[in-house]
Amino acid sequence: MTKSRPSEVFPERLREAREKIRKLSQEALANRAGLQASAISHFESGTRKPSFDNLRRLADALEVSTDYLLGRIDEISGAATSDQLNRDYDRMSQEDRDLADEIFGILKKRSRQRTSER
Amino acid sequence: MPFDESSVENAIAEAEQFIKDRKITALPIDPVRIAKDLEIEVVAKPASSKGVSGMLLRYGDDYAIAYATHIDSDGFQRFSIAHELGHYLLPGHIDHLLPAGKNIHESRGGFVSTDPYELSADYFAAGLLMPNPLFSQAMWNSGEGLAAVESLAGLCRTSLTATAIRYVQCIHTVVAMVMSAGTRIDYCFMSDALKEVPGLTWIRKGDALVKTTATYRFNQNEQRVIQADRTEAASTIQDWFGGRRNLEMTEEVVGLGRYGKTLTILCLVGDPEEEDDDNDENVEESWTPRFRR
Repeated sequence: MTKSRPSEVFPERLREAREKIRKLSQEALANRAGLQASAISHFESGTRKPSFDNLRRLADALEVSTDYLLGRIDEISGAATSDQLNRDYDRMSQEDRDLADEIFGILKKRSRQRTSER
Repeated sequence: MPFDESSVENAIAEAEQFIKDRKITALPIDPVRIAKDLEIEVVAKPASSKGVSGMLLRYGDDYAIAYATHIDSDGFQRFSIAHELGHYLLPGHIDHLLPAGKNIHESRGGFVSTDPYELSADYFAAGLLMPNPLFSQAMWNSGEGLAAVESLAGLCRTSLTATAIRYVQCIHTVVAMVMSAGTRIDYCFMSDALKEVPGLTWIRKGDALVKTTATYRFNQNEQRVIQADRTEAASTIQDWFGGRRNLEMTEEVVGLGRYGKTLTILCLVGDPEEEDDDNDENVEESWTPRFRR
């Protein structure tokens, strides 16, 4: 990807997933994601940036991964996220790094469990 | 694209709308419950671990919040969790959290950051834990000044500092909160009514405390700060903000313990319009209408 900011990549990924992959109207996606139809329009035009919560709801409704919507992977499903971690440790203490690693381990396990259940 | 400067106000509005949408109608707000409802794992850092006050972590579609417990304050810990919820729920924070492929975000401060994303997460946290209309309704039954701040802090399970800032934001009378350490002022929040008093000089970070104030005298004894002692005295608006009127204010001072800082609540005594009766007519005309909004 040449674009670096997640919010710049997101609009075209969202439109692609909605129109080409899932063939949904903006309204249908909004209903599935529990959002207003106007929000989808604003997201796709780039006039409104999503929150992480928005991303998660949209990814779930579209059955794609958050990483796909962020342009971090090109496959629509999310098993590839384990290779995408690129944490910034510069300002953190060793204790905080260790704790973050531990939590990532828990999240990773949960992510794999969910993927295997699909 | 530059960050929207109105995001601080938007952050409070987003938090209050979130509370409204979830039909939460009573204080205190439970940020851990909210996080769990959002399927965000919440992890307490060990009390022995200092470092960052909070972290938001993402792994694919899974999220976690870790919060510091080395500061033994329920209010501080709840605020740290609510701050990270702000990063999760506020529009546009994805660019802050993931500017170059990061999947972890760490927070350190509270209300003093100059980073607009951190500041908006602080204000989101304040709006989430002390949302209107619930907070303003509670203010009606909480008395005035420091007593009100302490009552509201107990009700909302928030720190005195965060509650004092929110109190000053929401009150319609002439009130200020001042945070100080030693002989210097850290920061000051003024109510809208105070900001409208003409001719005042706004306090800046690092300004010296006026030596005639009770706060200055209180801070001379470090033990009083550490032992969370308190005092109160009569003060004037001129002592703190200059201006042409010598309006009387109450000055309530409390030490914040090991935090090493002092919180001062300043409240105007009586009705400012009555005070104006003693002043010259021309000045009165320029002053009075502003308090009749």
